[in-house]
Parts: sequence; C-alpha cells; structure tokens
Amino acid sequence: MTRLKKFFLAALFVWFCLVIWGAFFYAPRAAGFKGESARIVFFHVPQAWVAVVAFCVNLVASIQYLRRRDLMDDIRAAASARLGLLFSVLATVSGSLFAKVMWGSFWNWDPREVSIAILLLIYAAYFALRQAVPDPERRGTLAAAYAILAFVTMPFLVFVVPRIYWSLHPDTIINVQGKIQMESRMFQVLMGSVLGFTGLFWWLYSLETRLARLRLFRDQRGE
Amino acid sequence: MPAPESLFWVAAVTVGIWLGIFLYCLRLERRLRRLEEEEGL
Amino acid sequence: MTLEKLPGEIRSLSLLRESLTVLRKELVSELRSRVALSSVGLFALTTLIAVAYQIGPYRIHEQDRPHLHSALLWIILFFAASSGLPRVFVKEEDAHTAKTLRLAARPAAVFTGKLLFNLLLLLGLEAFLVPLFAVFMGFAVKNIGAFFLVLAAGGLGLAASSTTVAAIIARASGSSTLFVVLAVPLVLPMLVFLIQGTRMAATAADWTAALPALRAVLSLTGVTLVTSAFLFPVVWHD
Repeated sequence: MTRLKKFFLAALFVWFCLVIWGAFFYAPRAAGFKGESARIVFFHVPQAWVAVVAFCVNLVASIQYLRRRDLMDDIRAAASARLGLLFSVLATVSGSLFAKVMWGSFWNWDPREVSIAILLLIYAAYFALRQAVPDPERRGTLAAAYAILAFVTMPFLVFVVPRIYWSLHPDTIINVQGKIQMESRMFQVLMGSVLGFTGLFWWLYSLETRLARLRLFRDQRGE
Repeated sequence: MPAPESLFWVAAVTVGIWLGIFLYCLRLERRLRRLEEEEGL
Repeated sequence: MTLEKLPGEIRSLSLLRESLTVLRKELVSELRSRVALSSVGLFALTTLIAVAYQIGPYRIHEQDRPHLHSALLWIILFFAASSGLPRVFVKEEDAHTAKTLRLAARPAAVFTGKLLFNLLLLLGLEAFLVPLFAVFMGFAVKNIGAFFLVLAAGGLGLAASSTTVAAIIARASGSSTLFVVLAVPLVLPMLVFLIQGTRMAATAADWTAALPALRAVLSLTGVTLVTSAFLFPVVWHD
C-alpha cells in the first residue's frame, strides 16, 4: 500500500471517529424533534447523498461503456450500482427509524420516501437484468441502456414531486428561500459526515472495482 | 459508569460498528494487494 | 451498408413511411393471430370483474371514490397492457425474424413503428376498459375533456417507456416477468401523475386542474422518447 493510501485510510478512520463524537456530543439538540432522534440526520443524509453519488457514477460508467465498449466501464457501473443499492437500503432504514420515532410509523408514503423506494426498485431491476444476460458484452450494453433510461426518469421524482406535493420530510437544505436553516454546529457535523461517507464510498468503490478487475483478468487468462 | 440510556452508549456502539467495518475493509485491502501482486497487475 | 442491396423503391422511403410500413406489418400479424389483443383484453376484463365484484359502486364512500377509482383504473390498464406490450420485440426474437428486420429497416423506423403499435394497443385497451369500468364501478368524471387528455397522454407515455424496455428485455431473456420488473420503476412516476390527473378530472369541473399532472406526464414522455432515440439503435444493433 502506498504511503498516500495509508495516510488516507488513517485519516478516514480518525475523521469518522470525530464525526461520531461530533454527532452525539458537539452538535446541540435540535428543536422541534423528539429527544435526540434528530441526530440520525448525521448518518441518514450522507447515506442518501452517497446513494445519489453512486447513481451518478453508474450513469457516467454506463455512458462510457456504450462509447468505448471497455469492460472495465461495465465493471465500474456494476460496482457503483451495488454500492448504490447498499447505501439506498441504509438510507431507507435510517429514514424509517426516524419516522417511527417522530411520527409513530415506519412508512408514510411521503414523496421522498417513495422516490427512495423507486430507486431501490430500479437497482433491483438493474441486477435482475444483469443476471438475465450471460454474454458479458451484451450484458454491459443492456444494463447501460437501462441505467441511462432510469437516470433520466429519476429527477422527476426526486425534485419535481416533492415540490408539488406536501411532504412530511423536514424542511431540507434546498428550501423555499434557498437558505440553510440549520444551526451552525449541526451543519458542520453534517458536512463533515458527508465528507466522511464520500471518502468511505470512494474506498469501497475502489475495492469493488479492483476485485472485479482481478476476476476479469483471471477469466481472460483462463480462456 | 454513564447512565445506561445516555448518548454515550449509542456513540460507543456506533464507533464499534465503524471499527468493525474499517477493519473488515482493511483486511480486504490487504488481500487484494497480495492477489494483485501475484497477478503482476 | 445493407440498404444498397435493397430495391430502389425501399431505399427512397422516408422515415415516416418506413415506420408506417413497420406499423402495418405489426397490425397485420397481430390481427392474424390476435394473441396480444386477447391476452390484454382478457386480463383487463378478468381483473375488472374481480375488483368490481368486491368493491362495486356502493361500497366506497363518496369522497373516497375518485382516489380509489383513479388508482384502480391505471393499475388495471398498465398490468393488462404489460401482457401484450413486450410482444412487439419478443415475438421477433422468438420467430427469428429480428435479423431480417434489422436489415430491412432503419432503427428509427423500427422503433417508431412498434411504438405506434403499442400506442394503438393502449388506446384500444382504454377504449375497451374505460366504459366498462365506468359502468361496473360507478366511475363518474366531472370533466370529460380533461379525462380524455389524461388517457391520451397516458397512452403515449406508457407506450414510450414500455417499447424501449421491451427492446431491452427482448435482447435479454425476453421473459414477461423481466419486462414488468424493469418497466415498473420507470412507469411508476408516470402512473402517479396519471392517477392524480384522473382524480382531478373526476373531481374538478375545470379542465385546468389536471394541467400540472398532464405537464408532468408529457415532459416525462418527452424525456423518455429523446433518450430512447439514442439508446434504441445501440440496443437493437447489439
């Protein structure tokens, strides 16, 4: 492992410990929420953020695959999709836990909740499609086509629907005035957590792609 | 000893989870490095 | 490269005529076997009867009716249509006529022709189901014009998404389960808007109440069609 990598991983570890401490002790209690339950936002929001990042990485890799037909691009698409699925599930679970504490039920059919559910369905469909195609090149093409098609549909759900319909979701960072309404210390911890989770995503993504690349190498040599 | 329901324990569990994830990924990282060196990548 | 080998007559066809030729072929082959028509029609009828028997016009409160009716209508429409929509591409692969079609027509024409067929299938299904639905369920609409607009927009929107997904799964396993699994996440936002639009048409006398929903459906459809224009040739010629 290079020195830079070692430094990055050590820094990531320390950073996360700091974020966790900050989430529970440095950030103040949030007004208007039940007890300490609002602290989950420091984990829930970054998970949702990473899910979106993974979706975008998948889109870029899919487009690249269709342009270059390089199997590595397909590997990147699959890896980011897997991670996107993982973080979407985490975001849904943390969101449900918060919903249970705050409003008494795990699921409320709020538009944002529905969009994350649809994102999960898209990922499930994506992997179902991949499994249905044995040929690696065709698999890459069809999966990429579906991913791109899904990507253009999502913004409607994520951005348009919550604007039109009333939402249970606490007033998010992108609100009517476009200003940030969170207390400054909470905001600091939140941004720190987002940074940490992004770093974690990058590490997991590189691990997944390296593993898949090794497998590809082995398969190609075995032929 | 902090009170059983205090935030301290939630934070401790969270740190524990993070430690678990981190060590697991570190092990993966080392394994991958070894395999990659074998392949001459 | 392959078009040079074809007779001059075909080479000079415009895209529209090529698409209409594809459409005509689809219609002829479908009318001959009537597989899609019967499965779609029967699915819709059976589901409607099952639902109407249990729910019927009088079991729901007056104020809940628009919500429930709108949702049920589009659910039955979409799932009934799913039994027939993927056929446009899957039957080509099954009958091994796909290769000939690839040589004979441009991808754009193939897509448009089959899209038009699916659109006609959906509109036909709507024409068949909606009157029956109105009778069996006691479904009443305050603004018929808005309702027709929603039905038309829905037909086009569902046809657009379904045709592209059908093209993708036809090159995969071609199974109808895979079609539904892939189509539902893409179609769900559109269904949400369509149900909303139908509810507006059912409850509001003014047709502009359905406008936001219509706008959303049409923009979704537009985006899907533009993306399909790029994606279809890639999938088709894979």
